[in-house]
Amino acid sequence: MKSKIIIIAAIVMLIAIMGYMAWDLFLSAPPEAKNPWEYKVGDLKRVDSSILNYIEMKPFKPEMEEVHGVDVDSSGTIYVVGKNRVGIFGRDGNLKNSFPISGIGTCITMRNQLIYVGILDHIELFNMSGDRIKRWKRTAPGSVITSIAVNGNDVFLADAGNKMVYRYTAAGKLLNRIGQKDTVQNIPGFVIPSPYFDLAIGKDRTLWVVNPGRHSFEHYTMEGHLLNSWGSASNSTAGFCGCCNPTNFALLNDGSFVTSEKGIERIKIYSNEGVYRELVATPEMFAEGVKGLDLAVDPQGRILVLDPAKNQVRVFVRK
Amino acid sequence: MPTRRVFLQNLIRGGILAGLGLLTGSLVFRSRKGGTCRLNISCNACSKNGSCTLVPAFETRQFVWQLDPSKCIQCGRCATECVHTPSAVKCVHVYAMCGYCDLCGGYFKPDTKTLNTGAENQLCPTSAIKRSFIEDPFFEYTIDENLCIGCGKCVKGCGAFGNGSLQLQIRHHICDNCNECAIARKCPAGAFSRVPATSPYLLKGFGKQPLSGDKTGGPESF
Repeated sequence: MKSKIIIIAAIVMLIAIMGYMAWDLFLSAPPEAKNPWEYKVGDLKRVDSSILNYIEMKPFKPEMEEVHGVDVDSSGTIYVVGKNRVGIFGRDGNLKNSFPISGIGTCITMRNQLIYVGILDHIELFNMSGDRIKRWKRTAPGSVITSIAVNGNDVFLADAGNKMVYRYTAAGKLLNRIGQKDTVQNIPGFVIPSPYFDLAIGKDRTLWVVNPGRHSFEHYTMEGHLLNSWGSASNSTAGFCGCCNPTNFALLNDGSFVTSEKGIERIKIYSNEGVYRELVATPEMFAEGVKGLDLAVDPQGRILVLDPAKNQVRVFVRK
Repeated sequence: MPTRRVFLQNLIRGGILAGLGLLTGSLVFRSRKGGTCRLNISCNACSKNGSCTLVPAFETRQFVWQLDPSKCIQCGRCATECVHTPSAVKCVHVYAMCGYCDLCGGYFKPDTKTLNTGAENQLCPTSAIKRSFIEDPFFEYTIDENLCIGCGKCVKGCGAFGNGSLQLQIRHHICDNCNECAIARKCPAGAFSRVPATSPYLLKGFGKQPLSGDKTGGPESF
């Protein structure tokens, strides 16, 4: 009787061992292989979101295939340009008007009741109804127009393809080129490794241009004399990360700078002297790898962020 | 009748044998014939770049293994799973996409304080990337394939902070083109596939442009 129990127990144990072996061989998942060379980019993006002084409001969708540029006029009307279309929206995101353009609109600005649209290598001017008023000649071979700013009778174009800023009259006549490398005038020259090259007119009616490859802002007179520059490369929040940042910027009503970056996707504010002040949006708020977060500031100080990954205009307001 | 049947059987046998003989003969002939390189790619196996005679086995291949950089997640398995040590997967540099940046995300560790070639600053575990000054503020980055192990660390850094000009590719002068690629079997992203031997490289961004020679740089397209 005793030997019978032992035999049964041995058989049960044998079956259990065979079952385990079969499971181990054929059914168990292999252990997750650890990458000995893993580069944890995500660690660089971790930021405590409780330090933010801005909150995100309800975004709106411009309903176009791709979005590339945003601007706001003095009444708070929002202009968005993208592939083959311009959209005009009210302050709350309601569509006011929309009209087609022929090509990929890369940037937009509205001044003096005229909408200036950069379409890859040239500029087109539209009235508020969407009728084309004028088409400027291609600025130069290989041009990629990435930003437009208007100051009175002067129109400034940032050309990422030729690494140059052009100053035109409102009638489309080229006045001068700005930012060419000049050792006598101590102008370092623009370094544009990727097609993100932004400019804006400051409070004192002078020109601010991003030099992304040098991680700096450069301050020019209308004639192209370099006044000063600021900015430093760093992965820390106070600097500009990666190969070429910031990609875009806008000026707040007090003259301070709102900047956006790629690589570590974040929106930050610097004082008008270039001192880091605060974070507006953390990398967790954006899709990984999103580039070209164009910025605009409306008269109420709301920061509008054009998010090409979500195809939205996202709105950030101070708490 | 039986004689006619035997004759027909012998005729079929003879036909099959003759066919096999012709097939073998053509394969032997093709494998002995030298070929012209169709890669148009800089290659440590050859200094002629574009007019070399590759190892004959390559010429007889219809399809070769390649990995798609747009699917690659830089998991590190290319370095550990290949039957070759170091792996036949190498980092290649698409110069036409490169910004020649001073602060290169594929070369420097993220916490680098000073931008110099000190080993403590380099992201590459084997120092396989060479950094050379061109003119202020541009630097050229070249890959030493003898040192590259195909871990993809630089590829991740370049993709995250730069234009993504550093990409992993199987180098065919090293690859044995195994029937079942050991890396393809383990690749979690399914990035490996067989591609025609006539266009054996899959490069992101600038398609099948030459990897060297064209060093114009400049912005990527919208």
